[in-house]
Amino acid sequence: MKRTMITALAAAVMALQAGVSWAQSRDSFTIGGVVPLSGPYALLGTSMQKGAEIAIEERQKVLGVPVRALWEDSETKPQTSVQKATKLLAEGVEMLFGDGASGQTLAIMPVAAQHKVPLIVTTSAADQITGAARNHYTFRTSSLAFAETRMAIEFVKKAGLKKVYGLGVDQPVGRDTWATMKAGLAELGVAAVGEDFAPIGNQDYSIIIDKIAKSGADGLFVTMTGADTITFLKQAGQVKLNSSVPIFGTGFLDDDAANAVGPAVVGVNTVARYHFSYDTPENKAFVEAYRKKYNEWPNAYAGHAYDGLKWFFDVVDKTGSWEADKWVAAFESSEHPGSVFGPRKMRACDHQAIGVGLWAQAVAGGDPYPPFMLKVTDTFPPDNLYPKCPN
Amino acid sequence: MSIIIIGLSISMLLFLLAAGLTIIFGMLGVVNFAHGALYMLGAYMGYQMVQWTGSFWLALLVAPLLVALVGGLIERFTLRPLYDRDHAYQLLMTFGCVLVIEEAVRLIWGVNFMAMNAPDVLSGTVQMFGSTIAVYRLFIIGFGLALSLAMFIVIERTSVGMMVRATSSNSDMAACLGIDVVRLRTLVFMAGTFLAALGGTIAAPLLPLKLGMGYTIIIDCFIIIIIGGLGNIRGAIIASLLVGMTRAFGQQIAADWIGLLTYALLILTLVVRPEGLFNRKGREA
Repeated sequence: MKRTMITALAAAVMALQAGVSWAQSRDSFTIGGVVPLSGPYALLGTSMQKGAEIAIEERQKVLGVPVRALWEDSETKPQTSVQKATKLLAEGVEMLFGDGASGQTLAIMPVAAQHKVPLIVTTSAADQITGAARNHYTFRTSSLAFAETRMAIEFVKKAGLKKVYGLGVDQPVGRDTWATMKAGLAELGVAAVGEDFAPIGNQDYSIIIDKIAKSGADGLFVTMTGADTITFLKQAGQVKLNSSVPIFGTGFLDDDAANAVGPAVVGVNTVARYHFSYDTPENKAFVEAYRKKYNEWPNAYAGHAYDGLKWFFDVVDKTGSWEADKWVAAFESSEHPGSVFGPRKMRACDHQAIGVGLWAQAVAGGDPYPPFMLKVTDTFPPDNLYPKCPN
Repeated sequence: MSIIIIGLSISMLLFLLAAGLTIIFGMLGVVNFAHGALYMLGAYMGYQMVQWTGSFWLALLVAPLLVALVGGLIERFTLRPLYDRDHAYQLLMTFGCVLVIEEAVRLIWGVNFMAMNAPDVLSGTVQMFGSTIAVYRLFIIGFGLALSLAMFIVIERTSVGMMVRATSSNSDMAACLGIDVVRLRTLVFMAGTFLAALGGTIAAPLLPLKLGMGYTIIIDCFIIIIIGGLGNIRGAIIASLLVGMTRAFGQQIAADWIGLLTYALLILTLVVRPEGLFNRKGREA
């Protein structure tokens, strides 16, 4: 009995050692994806995974070895994110990729930094990620809330709006965004004629819609997401609010939501974090590869996942080194000429990617496109969009 | 004045959602936690009917009937063995049903949002008292009033209603008097699930269809039936009006206080009249 136990123990130790030596042998470049594959943000995670897979397939090899990905479901919960990130790091991944919700990303940032492993953020938009909570190993290749609000202000300027009403989700992000927006409007001399905040999952917007219609506003700024956006736009559409008070917002609407709203969505304006209709050769190639593999149009989460990973792979490959610190140093001051958004660059001061901002309007699609979709109508140069570099 | 119209539409929607829960709660004494999931199933079935037939009206009839059949199966195979046990068992069992229904919907329709729109005839708007009101909202008001009247008549004025009331006050005695209590319970549960699905189909043009949409209404439903009194149709109507109007006027006057006002109403009712505002002693319907 005792002998069998000792043998088993020895076998286990050997197996463990084999595992360790496998991780160190570097026969592959392994990325660890921590994304929400279940929970409220499941759509984000699955899309990110799909976009990342295209980048991996396109690249094939980094530093002369095949690229592969280990995926973990962070369940839209910050606590799970930390557990899964820790697990991936224990398995010896070279870099982390994720997460979905900003709260999750903020939770895994210190974990990545502790292990001195780069974390590439391609979805979460909270300002803190490259602001107050930034660290040496975290890079964001996607946009941030601040830039989106700046774009909305640019839109107000261009459209010549004079009286704007604010509607947001009753959460810090909704109230903060409207506060930033109001400050921007005041600088332009545009009046904020009213505001309302509705809880997540609010079922009835009829009174709010009536208030907006009677407020004399010539524009409605909306900051909410997902199901709330759809509920609001469906109910606003039933009284044709958009025809009297044009609706616009910061990244509150995407193609999936547009289709869930139906005909009422046509004419609504929004920041587009990414869109498959954006006309660059790189984007066309990506969209084609994506369509071929998944038979669907890529959304913003897939587009940014692809673009961010592609960028990072380029940088790593160029260093010719397996040292994470060299990748970080190179990524900090890198440019991304082959971006689907047109040339972009990384800011060394806060690890925030800088590029043009896309503005879009919802339109009826029609074959081969989805019935309703966004269409990029304007681009804003990066000059005014990003926060100042921290000291 | 337009606030009253809008408040009325909010109230009637709340009533439509809570009606099924209140009769199951009142008549069977079952806290049907699966009410929200059945509401969701009704919305998805309605969506599917519209996809197949293109007719909202057909969906409004067929979807609730199909869900009522599901309700019948749930009652027969999960609740029937549990009536004699503590309420906690029934609560747990219906919660189990929630998980099964959620998974089934995920397998059949996937995780993406689905859209169902109001039929063309109800898609217009009318000007009333200086506000633009959607015709669909007026339809909800009319439908809610008609349904509440029909339910009231069935429960208070028909022999079936009398049997249901008898069963709910003393099922053993009712059985002695020759009422088929077992079958009656199944029918009541099916009627409750029919109403849940009807609520889902009616609400579908106002909301995105998604997994978990049932959770967002279940709290509102419980508020209505607690304020109105368990199983009390009249109470449910008044409670819906109270909550609906509180929300309508609250949003207009003090938007940040709506949640607080609604729950204060609930707590006040529980403290002052724990049996519900409109429950008279010895009367269950």
